[in-house]
Parts: sequence; C-alpha cells; structure tokens
Amino acid sequence: MNSVNDRNRDIGPFVPAPDDDMLICRCEEITKGEIRKAVHDGMWTLTEIRRYLRTGMGLCQGQTCSKLVKSIVARELNVSPAELEPATSRVPMRPIEMRIFANEAKEDDDYE
Amino acid sequence: MKRYDLIIVGAGPSGLSAAVEAAKRGMEVVVFDENEKPGGQLFKQIHKFFGSKEHRAKVRGFNIGKQLLEEAAEAGVKVVLNATVIGLYQDKEVVVKIGEEIHHYKGDSVIIATGAAENMVTFPGWTLPGVIGAGAAQTMMNLHGVKPGKKVLMLGSGNVGLVVSFQLMQCGCEVVALVDAATRVGGYGVHAAKVARTGVPFYLSHTIVEAEGDECVTGVTIAEVDSSFKFIPGTEKHFDVDTICLAVGLSPMSQLLKMAGAKMEDNPKRGGQVPICDEYGRTSLPGVFVAGDVSGIEEASSAMIEGRMAGIVAAEYLGYTDEDDMNRNVESLEKALDGLRQGMFAPENRGKLVEKTEEGIDVSMNLLKKGYVADDEIERYPGVTHKVGIHPVMECTQNIPCNPCQDACPKKCISIGDNITSLPIVVPESECINCGMCVASCSGQAIFLVDEDCGDGTATVTLPYEFLPLPKEGAKGIALGRNGKKVCDAEVVNVRSAKAFDKTNLLTMRVPKEYAMKARFFRATV
Repeated sequence: MNSVNDRNRDIGPFVPAPDDDMLICRCEEITKGEIRKAVHDGMWTLTEIRRYLRTGMGLCQGQTCSKLVKSIVARELNVSPAELEPATSRVPMRPIEMRIFANEAKEDDDYE
Repeated sequence: MKRYDLIIVGAGPSGLSAAVEAAKRGMEVVVFDENEKPGGQLFKQIHKFFGSKEHRAKVRGFNIGKQLLEEAAEAGVKVVLNATVIGLYQDKEVVVKIGEEIHHYKGDSVIIATGAAENMVTFPGWTLPGVIGAGAAQTMMNLHGVKPGKKVLMLGSGNVGLVVSFQLMQCGCEVVALVDAATRVGGYGVHAAKVARTGVPFYLSHTIVEAEGDECVTGVTIAEVDSSFKFIPGTEKHFDVDTICLAVGLSPMSQLLKMAGAKMEDNPKRGGQVPICDEYGRTSLPGVFVAGDVSGIEEASSAMIEGRMAGIVAAEYLGYTDEDDMNRNVESLEKALDGLRQGMFAPENRGKLVEKTEEGIDVSMNLLKKGYVADDEIERYPGVTHKVGIHPVMECTQNIPCNPCQDACPKKCISIGDNITSLPIVVPESECINCGMCVASCSGQAIFLVDEDCGDGTATVTLPYEFLPLPKEGAKGIALGRNGKKVCDAEVVNVRSAKAFDKTNLLTMRVPKEYAMKARFFRATV
C-alpha cells in the first residue's frame, strides 16, 4: 500500500493558523482552513478532498487551485506533493452545459 | 464515427508543427483547438526569439506563428477552432465540443499538444480584481489591445516575468518593481538587463505580503524573505499599484492523457504531472504521442521541434513513412533540440548557481541579484572592447544558445563560432561600418554601437529602442545607466528605423565621453 495513505500514521491534531480564512478554490469558495481540517477529518487523497469539499469542481475545473490544494494537503500530511496521487481526470475536461453535453451531433463531419 | 489518420489536440507551436510534418507525409490530419484563434502562445510573443537560424532566431514570435499557419495550410492541415476536446478514451476516441454539439472522432494516431496553464500563488488579497497572471496580461495587451493597468508590480523573474514586464512598459504601463522570492533572477540576464536599464528595481528574496484594496487592487506590500521563505520583519515595502502580475511558473495540462490511461509521473523538473514518454514523444499508449509543454515545461522553440518529431514518429507508426526517413529526420531535429538545451539555462542546470561562463569568466552576481551588470564587471566580457571610432559593444555575459549577431554583421566583426552558446567576441582588425544590423538582430537587446571619443569631448551610443513615442533627432533628455539611474544629460542625434531592423529602432544619443561605457538607455525629459 502507498505509505502516504497509511491511515495509522499520526499526523497530529488540527492547529488553527492565521491564514486559514484564505480562499484557495475561488470557484467553490473553499478556504485553506477547510482543506486542512478535511485532512484531519480523514480525507487524505485529493479525490477524497474533492468529493468532500468540491475543490476544483467549479467553473475552472481546478485549473487554478489543484496545485495549491495539493501542496496544502501534502504539507498537512508532511509528505512531498509529488508523493500524492493526483485526482482522477474525467470527461468533460472543460465546464460544459448539460444541454450541450447531451446533444450528440447527428452527422460526423458537419463542423465546417 | 469519422476517422482521421491523426488527430492533434492543440493548435499551438508544437501541435501545428506536428500537423505540418504528418500532413507532408500524406496523412489526413485534423487539429482541434478550444481557442478562437490558432497559434497558442505564439501570437502573444512580440519579442524576437533566441536560437540560431534553424530555430527561426531573431524572428518575432507572432511572425513565427504566421509562418507556421501558412505551412499548415499549404500542407493541407485542417484546423478546427472553438473546438474543445472534452475527452480522450481508450482506442483513441476523441470527444469534441464544437458549437453546441458533441462530436466523436476516431484517431488512428493522436498527438496531445495541449500546452500548459499558469501557476498561482496565494497571499491576502490574491482574489482581488487586478491580480492577474502574466499570460492574461499578454493576452489583454497583444491579442486584444487592452492595457492591463497603469502601475504594475510583477512577481516572478523567470523569462515570462521579464519579457512580460518589458511588454507592459511597451504598452505604456509603469512597472514599479520586479519581485521574486528566489535569491537569483531566474530568466536570461539579457532580458533582465533590458528591463533594469529602464529603471525598474529588482527585489530578489522578496515576495508579496498582501494585496490591498476593497473592490480592487490599490496597493501591495512586499517584504524580504529568509532562506526558509519566512518574512523578515521590518523589511516591508509598499507600492501604490492597480495591477499585480503573477509569473510564477507553468503546469502541464496533461489531464487528457491521464484520462486515456497513459502512464504518468509527477516530475517537478518537468513542471508537474506529465506522461512518461520517450524523447520522440511516444507515451505508454501505442499511437498516442505528446509534444510541447504538456510533456514538460520548456519554450516555444523547443516545442516546435518536439512537434515535428512527434508528427514524423506518428507518420511512421501508421506506415506513412519508413524507418529510414524517420531516423534521418528525427536525428537532425534532435541536434537542433540539443542546441537549444545547451548553456547556463540548460535543463540540467535548473536551479543551480553557475558561477563561471564556459570561457572561465566570472558570472556577474549583480546581474543575478539586481538585474544588471555593474560598470566594474562589464569590462571582463569578450564582447566589450575599446577602439577608435564606432565599434560594437556586446553586453552578452551568459552562455545561452543564440547566435544571430554573428551572421548579422556584413563586415564579419562579430564571431560566436561553432559553439552556439559561446559569448560573442569582436573580431580583431574588423571594420565596423555603423550599419546597426547587429543591434537590431540581438534578441536580448544587448548590443550597442559606441564611438567613445568623437573628438569634441563627446561620445555617441547607439541603442535598440522599442518604445513609443519614438524620440526625434534633437530631443533632449537623460542617459540612464545599466542600473536605470541617471548618469548624465543626453541628446538624440539620430534615430534609424529600417525594414531590416524589424521594428527595433536604433537611437543614437550624444553624451560626454566619460559616460560612453556607462550610458545605456535614453529617457526624454518632458
């Protein structure tokens, strides 16, 4: 098992910090403190953080904050960011309206 | 489902280059790009590129973009714009949003050339309007003709931060400071020097404490940091600004590859999450290739070469060319790529302090800390010599892969030799005819033509000048030193603009002769 995810490891208690109210994910308005607390709530992977808080799930799809979230989680777990498994990549790669997402083109070559 | 021999995602320098090579070999190629204009970052690059002729050195980035689009059209490449690839599935199915519909295509081969996205840093106030990425500033200025602000603070001293600072000044903004938490300037010294000589102060080992303002940015405070990047109390400095520009690195946009199941790695040297691939861009998925920043952050010149390689390798993969053609072509491209990866800024030197040039000369520490070579340091470089009459002074002090100057001089006054990273030397006994071609050819704006003694107690200095309004002959003003501080009064005696100079104007100013080797920029007094 990936040692980063060894949940028996003691990461210590959540210690409030002065910059906890700093916005990290602007699209979903999630602060640094919320992300740090989530780690102490047991969310040790970026996929878990994303499902728990919705970081990177807004309009920019994590283009701005993924790297920031990753470094905050890594620091809280006391590991290097490179050791953390990145969050899953999924369709659609860009924000898209549901009515378009569900609107399959009839012809294959009609974009010209 | 419509099939293509090759589907390329991204119409930037690498994607278009790949398309050209593949289409030339008979492949049916389509390039999808989510933007409304092709060319990726190339059309935002208004500066002259470094390198040698084969890298299209001394050509401005947007002109390279135009050339590339012409080549692509000639080769029969189909470029579809406003086409957002939203998914890449197994068996190379590409899902694209075009207009209000979702289209599915099958690529017998696929090249991912999606490039990179800008990194951000956080500080109190970082979400205020007025805090923008350097790429955003370039998009506003160079694509849309919008001035990003009046007074700007730039964070980041890599080439992006330096080049964009210069562009901000060209577009009429005041750059109040260039700030970087690192201890040394990250980008090319020549880029730093051309910013510093206009008077922009450099604050290394400094970073932003906070951005101020309620509705938008009205000011910024920076402070010095210690070796563990902690603020040193009492070192705070405040600037009134309306814009804070962030140039703090790029991250590859490699999500499509991860989605398709390519083997990935987190490699800080390549900028983050990147696909594991060989030197020609073959990923772990057969028939899926990568080129450009998506497989590791570099710059446009190397992206174009990587693109060509990937295009040729994809053609060979589907049998559109044989192994001999591939090997022959890829080998020469590899040489070109190697050429770009030489010198002090080569990938293996990233983060290292290089203290001596290849010639064994001490590197200027002032250049690395303050952005300019000090007056007492400049004389030790081989491009800086003295003689009677007009002669070139080349303030090129770092080994970077670039050599247009040696071909620019019709009198062969300048030599770099076969090693592209060598510092330029003045050829002894050569006769300078004051044509100015060297000054205009230097992408780093580091060449000056100096007549140290005109016989009447004055000297003339000819410098590259890319600002508006262009001073007129007879204009009075001050000469600034390499550090951007006033050294003496000066008068413009000549301004030359020729087609061959490609929009670099040559401004000649007269100064007292004791300042011939100090005066390096002109500012008109209003």
